[in-house]
Amino acid sequence: MNNRRSTFLTILNSAICGYFLIRLFFFIDLNSRTVQIDVIQGILIGFGLAFVTAQIYARIKATKINGWITMFGLGVPGNGMFLRAAHAQLFPGPVNVPEEAMYWTTSGDGAGHLLSGEHNYVIHFPPDGLPPNHAFWSLTMGNPKNRFVENPINRYSISDRTGLTPNVDSSVDIYIQNTAPAGHESNWLPSPPGNFILWLRVYMPDTAILNGEYKVPPIVKTK
Amino acid sequence: MIPNMRHLFIFSGVCLSTWFLFTYLWPRLLFIVYKRAILVKGSGDGPIPINTLYTEPQTLFADPLHPPASASKLFTTGVNRDTLPTVGWLDLSKEPQVLHMPDMGSRYYSVQFTDPSKNINFAYVGKRTTGNSSGDYLITGPGWKGAIPQDMERISSPNNSVLVLGRVFVENEGDIPAAYHLAAQIQLTPWGHSNPTGKQ
Repeated sequence: MNNRRSTFLTILNSAICGYFLIRLFFFIDLNSRTVQIDVIQGILIGFGLAFVTAQIYARIKATKINGWITMFGLGVPGNGMFLRAAHAQLFPGPVNVPEEAMYWTTSGDGAGHLLSGEHNYVIHFPPDGLPPNHAFWSLTMGNPKNRFVENPINRYSISDRTGLTPNVDSSVDIYIQNTAPAGHESNWLPSPPGNFILWLRVYMPDTAILNGEYKVPPIVKTK
Repeated sequence: MIPNMRHLFIFSGVCLSTWFLFTYLWPRLLFIVYKRAILVKGSGDGPIPINTLYTEPQTLFADPLHPPASASKLFTTGVNRDTLPTVGWLDLSKEPQVLHMPDMGSRYYSVQFTDPSKNINFAYVGKRTTGNSSGDYLITGPGWKGAIPQDMERISSPNNSVLVLGRVFVENEGDIPAAYHLAAQIQLTPWGHSNPTGKQ
């Protein structure tokens, strides 16, 4: 689910549940109630609260660095029921355990503004700063509905195998923009004209990622 | 005031139980959607029968912007250009299933076994966990007892329902046929076929 939409739903839900709970606990409703209303309200508010608590717990458990969101411990046997519900909020699917793959996603740049094809962005990996792994990594473009984005060079993702050109100091810049960056076509990840999201995947991540030492660089707006 | 307090107790009881129940059932409800997507809608070539595996066609991987209209939305949502997915839903209540893995050379791949009631991955076959040589794996449901052939490794599932998700690495466009050729060799057969003595 889109992050902003789920924030909105969480707040709306809390407000509605809160309203009914306050009425109830200040005895405003008590004299005009029937058992039927108790049960129906109980189920609806119980469901609302389940959503709200899972969302809040997901946000507590999520790791947010430089605008990127990830969660450790996805799909690990032994996760408790509250953690499993929290995981299902941000990563609703059969995703890998951390040792197999780590996922980061973002719909905003490092400064917290929504990513949009109206702007140009760079993600700068310092020398030896590409995601350490024992399989591969990739940076994939999606529209806000999490689908592929049409582009003139049919490049839907950029990765350790798309032929990135390093800078002279062996750092790597990836250009995320709607039109081709002159002279940097090999490091171009085409964005749509409108909003977009990004996925960073690292398969068989190194211990530096698993223990949280490695920090994904922010996406920096350049224009 | 006092007699009406019972409304408070009834409401609180129902509310708390619902809250607890939904939190507990959340992954299970999520995976009902996946189960339906696999067994009812499929990925464009119709439903994927239970206890079989289906690999995403090469044409769809090469041109992900135009998925078949009949495909479940779940299969066409989510941007992945790294691995060719192979999916299936298992029912182990009658008999175990045998997973046949081809020799994957040095290629990255993994096959994930997910318990849909909890969304946890209880086992993996893959480069990281079992290595890349060919082999057969016996996937058994809870409580299954029997002799396991020497050349098979056993994967014990805590649940009779299992979501199987394979991922075979695709190096680039030109590598799609090779990756598909390998992924399509990941196959399931019922235990009865591999065990002609009929012992279950």
